[in-house]
Amino acid sequence: MNDFVIETKQLTKIYKEQTAVNSVNLHVKKGRIYGLLGRNGAGKTTIMKMILGLTSITSGEVDVFGKNIKGQEEQVYPRIGTIIETPGFYPNLTATENLEIFSKLRGTAAPHAVENALKIVGLPYKDKKLFGKYSLGMKQRLGIANAILHDPELLILDEPTNGLDPIGIAEVRDFIKNLSTTRGKTILISSHILSEISLLADDIGIIDHGVLLEESSMSELEKKNRKYILLQVSDIPKAVLILERQFHLKDYSVQDDHTLRLYDTALDIGEINKSLVTQNVTVISSGLCNDTLEDYFKKITGGEGIA
Amino acid sequence: MLRLIQTEFLKLRRRKLVWLMLSSALFMPFFALLYFRYVKETGGDPIQFYRWSAFGYTLWFILPVVLGTLCTMLMYEENQHDMLKQLWIVPISKMEYFFSKFFVVLIYSICFMLITAAASVMFSVLPGFVTFEWGSVLYLLKKCLEIGIITSFVMLPIMAIAASQKGYILPVTITLVYVFLGFILMTVNMYLHPLPSMAVIVMRNGDIPGLVFTQAINIPLAFLCICVWNIVAVLLANIALGRRK
Repeated sequence: MNDFVIETKQLTKIYKEQTAVNSVNLHVKKGRIYGLLGRNGAGKTTIMKMILGLTSITSGEVDVFGKNIKGQEEQVYPRIGTIIETPGFYPNLTATENLEIFSKLRGTAAPHAVENALKIVGLPYKDKKLFGKYSLGMKQRLGIANAILHDPELLILDEPTNGLDPIGIAEVRDFIKNLSTTRGKTILISSHILSEISLLADDIGIIDHGVLLEESSMSELEKKNRKYILLQVSDIPKAVLILERQFHLKDYSVQDDHTLRLYDTALDIGEINKSLVTQNVTVISSGLCNDTLEDYFKKITGGEGIA
Repeated sequence: MLRLIQTEFLKLRRRKLVWLMLSSALFMPFFALLYFRYVKETGGDPIQFYRWSAFGYTLWFILPVVLGTLCTMLMYEENQHDMLKQLWIVPISKMEYFFSKFFVVLIYSICFMLITAAASVMFSVLPGFVTFEWGSVLYLLKKCLEIGIITSFVMLPIMAIAASQKGYILPVTITLVYVFLGFILMTVNMYLHPLPSMAVIVMRNGDIPGLVFTQAINIPLAFLCICVWNIVAVLLANIALGRRK
């Protein structure tokens, strides 16, 4: 039994002749924030819709809480809170009235649930302003309030900071982080803004043109993107032996038959070269590298950047 | 289901058109008041007055058009504002959703006809066109309730069409075509269209003057016609809502 709250297996969606999502294997662990990062139109929303059963799956499987959602909606949906695309509400009603409708539909038993949800997102309770008069940011906040109204275990948030001002973005980010750290909520969040995901997510999935290019923890990704010395040599085992003995090197990774990454950037590259050459290891190239997350994203998406 | 119906009414807050359409229930009683004041005399027969105030254009045009517009309104808002996906993941079943809206139409239709009935009594008794009699008032109430209930079922196909459309122009246009078609088909075959079939059921005893049926009255056939249309409507709604994500 795994501890994945969401698991997709070879998830594929084809619209007529266009493949929107191609064999995606997604793994969202319990109590963690999973950031789905990709450009606009990469397939993030389609994946979320398929997870929620809001669009049909061409092939593959989705398990939520270890169950296939189809036929289990009554048990699974009450455990999920979502925002998919721009949240829609009744324009002739106030925020409180709108949430009261959803609260009634869900049978939310908790007293003051509506008041608490509005308070969390910074919207006034029993305000007279109608939803139709709300700004995009306020609408987005109300969408988040609706998603958390019934205290779900899993939140699926599709670009929740869309339309928010910078302060609002920071507030929502802190709030989402807080939900995960203090209340143990599992959160799947999508964004096309790299900095958002990097500040928020514990795990990250990079999607491009419907293909999940990379799935790893943020710490692993940061490791991949930190400063390192790139060394290309003729004999890797021998070079490693020399570096371990002579430079007490521990933090490194072997990339291929000729490439090494040394993460201890305090080392003197000149000394390393000298030492290897004197012990008959040919140094093809050496240098200091510094990949940012954006560089990494560009690299794995084939050169296309992200906001 | 009851919870769903309650929320359907909550959604109608501040919708002026709902009240405006309800006020049209007074139109024909008021018209009848003017008619019998200046043109014709009732001769003390309340049925003559009710024929104009409640059983004439209200039955054939006003109520069906009002209900068709209401069906469109109820469906349009959620379609237009892309709310259905939020409702499906509550979760709400598509058919519960459809029938909760139907119940709103049913209750609205009954209220509409009760207002018509009350206005008919007021506008006929107060000016002294007819004398107040419990018998005729109860007869009017009974007929108005029948009309209110059956018309809501008759308008179910419009609700299904509204469920399948994102806009409101097509459902409203189809409402008008549907209503006029019913009126035209009355003289051709009363059992082809739900509206003339409803008229057959309501006027089955021949106690409403002024309407002559071209065919023999067949109540089961009239019910069958309404049922067939409604079954098709529910199937259509099920398919249409299944596609709406």
